[in-house]
Amino acid sequence: MRKHFAFVALALCLGAGFSAYRGGAAAQADPRQKAYATEPDWNDPQRLIPLNYQQARGKRLFYQYCVWCHADATPAGPSNRANLNPVPPLLNDGAALNGKSDEFLLEITTLGGSAMGKSAMMPPYGRTLTREEIQALIAFARAIAQPPYQPPAPR
Amino acid sequence: MSGNRLQGACKTHRTSALAQFNSWLTLRRLSLCLSVPVLCAALLLAARAGFGQANPAAVADPHPGAEQVWTPQLNAAERCTACHPGVAPPSAARPSIQQPGRVDPLVPHHTKDWGCTVCHRGQGAAAEKEQAHQPELAPAQPLLPTRYLQASCGICHRADLPDTPDLNRGRLLLGEFRCVGCHRLEGIERPAMLGPDLTDIGNKVSAEWIYKWLKEPRTIIDDSGNTAVNGYQMEPRMPQFRLNEEELRNLTAYLSSLRGKPVEPYAFDPKVVAALENSPDLVDQGEARFRQMFCTTCHSLAVTRGGETKLIGGDIGPEMTKVGSKTNPAWLAAWLRNPQAFLPKSKMPRYEWSDQDLYVVTRYISAKLTDPDLLQGVPKLDAATPEQIRLGRRVFLKKGCGSCHAVPGAKLQEDFGPNLVSLGAESISHLHFGDAKIPRSLTAYLQAKIGDPLSVNPTADMPQYRFNSADLDAITTALLSMTGAPGSGGMERLIVPRTPAEFHPAGAFAQVYERYQCDACHQFNGYGGTLATDLSYEGSRAQRQWLIDFLKNPQTLRPSLILRMPQFNMTGQEAAIVADFIGRNLRSPAVNPAGVDPAQFTPQMAALGKQLYEVKYQCQACHSIGAGGGYVGPELSNVGNWMTAAWIAAWLKDPQALLPGGIEPRRALTEDEIKALTAYLVSLRQSEPAGRAAAAAGVGQ
Repeated sequence: MRKHFAFVALALCLGAGFSAYRGGAAAQADPRQKAYATEPDWNDPQRLIPLNYQQARGKRLFYQYCVWCHADATPAGPSNRANLNPVPPLLNDGAALNGKSDEFLLEITTLGGSAMGKSAMMPPYGRTLTREEIQALIAFARAIAQPPYQPPAPR
Repeated sequence: MSGNRLQGACKTHRTSALAQFNSWLTLRRLSLCLSVPVLCAALLLAARAGFGQANPAAVADPHPGAEQVWTPQLNAAERCTACHPGVAPPSAARPSIQQPGRVDPLVPHHTKDWGCTVCHRGQGAAAEKEQAHQPELAPAQPLLPTRYLQASCGICHRADLPDTPDLNRGRLLLGEFRCVGCHRLEGIERPAMLGPDLTDIGNKVSAEWIYKWLKEPRTIIDDSGNTAVNGYQMEPRMPQFRLNEEELRNLTAYLSSLRGKPVEPYAFDPKVVAALENSPDLVDQGEARFRQMFCTTCHSLAVTRGGETKLIGGDIGPEMTKVGSKTNPAWLAAWLRNPQAFLPKSKMPRYEWSDQDLYVVTRYISAKLTDPDLLQGVPKLDAATPEQIRLGRRVFLKKGCGSCHAVPGAKLQEDFGPNLVSLGAESISHLHFGDAKIPRSLTAYLQAKIGDPLSVNPTADMPQYRFNSADLDAITTALLSMTGAPGSGGMERLIVPRTPAEFHPAGAFAQVYERYQCDACHQFNGYGGTLATDLSYEGSRAQRQWLIDFLKNPQTLRPSLILRMPQFNMTGQEAAIVADFIGRNLRSPAVNPAGVDPAQFTPQMAALGKQLYEVKYQCQACHSIGAGGGYVGPELSNVGNWMTAAWIAAWLKDPQALLPGGIEPRRALTEDEIKALTAYLVSLRQSEPAGRAAAAAGVGQ
């Protein structure tokens, strides 16, 4: 019986060691392997953030519609951010956006800033983008947030 | 078979015979037998049922029954939904059900109509996870890694789709980097000019420069080996061919012997030369004109700031930082006056030069855009011997240089490289991996081969390109989409072909259009470049007089853009021809010029419009009027002289109707608000439009 117990213990140790090895390999794996697309961390361009399909769709929409005011560098060069008062948050600004619910971000993008008691300089996109597209944008914002976004615990 | 049902062209089978077994483990083992005769299945079931009961780890199967999707039109039966129940109906409609591997059921093709493997590849008939994803028995078709998934869209959708940016970029790069010069590629347009015609190359550049170019075409490299231009990497289109010293010398000898017709030096007006020749600021004048004419819209120059080297400028034409050390001033002047005389398919516009401008600009290029160290390391090259020239020509043809470059006495080498129209479906047993330590898969092969051709074949003739990892992925995606002629199973009906856009202007406009190469930057009904404004509806937008003024002296309209319209020094007559053609032919059906009468606008309406602009809608977030405002949209100080009232009203109503994908969002404006805003905007006029007086004089000539 004791012999049997020792055998089981040995097997457990081996199993734990093996899964630790596997875990280490997974941590070093190329984030592109499983991801649909990637976005460089805005604060650390060497670090690639893996994006799923929805987040990748949000990324495309962001670089078409939103990048002009919600990033410091744009495809055309300078950003419009500095021209605006109040200054709009960077899309990866977790300190500003992590506290806002998905519902709030959906509403302010759909209806515009003035409808939500914020700056009217944020225009309404509800008649230009679909609800799914705006949800994808929010998913992208959550993916690149620094500090990282933690979804609220389900109630 | 109570669950059997017909849905359109496909059927979903729920095998009720298996539903009674509640062990998921057992089911997975058994599902192998789904497609073999019933008798065999029954025997196995009997043998294994006891094992399943004895296994204490077996849990209740949340999804009794093995799902199988049969799509007869694609000749596919697959069981992916047995393990991925979330992607199939009915659970896809219920977000509360967890969907493994998927967060977003947005892909427009539904599993019930298409199955999974038509896009994701893999073995749909397999019943074990490993055999379905990375099969050992059928390695030809493993699961397609997610980041290349857009390739599958391209199998049927031959035109670019808005949601496949990687595929679109890959296709663009395959054309841009002239892969089509050597390889046959499905759906990649052959550029009008693959590489320069080399018939006169010996007159243009020195033998030393040819040697340097053949050895290493890149001349601007920072410490990390890269140069960024506006955020993306820029490489010369000419790849590196890994020639040995003898080949380099022989090919150089051959090319420098190509002296078709000597360049006739342009005879400058002696008065202009005498006035400028000894001027101390000659080079500065040239630089000022170079900048004013916006040569950098198409050509980039390297700028080093704070230890960081960047190329600033466009990529339509070659990078020019060291071009003064390449060409001689006589050739440069002749080229600038008439580029198409040298390269008939060149995109370079034929500027209207004054002698003074041409003189100072060529002097600036020859004096400042140089690098005394460019030819450092190039050995002393003696006069070419006939034997060297003969061997050099042999190297030229052996390396396939004639695929892109024309030389006298040789036809263009077509199909020099392998035909790649079905590369995306290639079996790995047909690929040569050599000693490469890479996974035996098509995607790994493509990445290795394009990244370094020698890694899989040490004797490859394919030259070395240097793509960054994003571009390498994009090219791999585009190649994977080329799966050859559709096979059986009715795929050919599903192909969505690409209809090439065309624009063939005629008459006087066509001459001006060709002279200034308008389509290099502007789009016309889907044809042309994407650098500048789409002009398909310009006739509805711009007023005639504004167009003429602008063409003669282009001003900045969008403050955020670095690249601007070059100053061609267009004559008044040419500008009028262009403005008339645009006004007559390039109109939007959504804009009715008679629908908005500016005469009805009152100062009260304009005042209300100003308030709407500044307070309610805060348009200044993106637009500027005078000093204040944003950089995103066009500058509006002179919009009353620029745009028609009908266009402004139509734009406010629905911007995307006039510019699909445009970034100005559509707002819920009332008719009265649209009128008021239009009244305000048309009242914005600069009292002395720039260049108006000169334009009037020009038109009168």
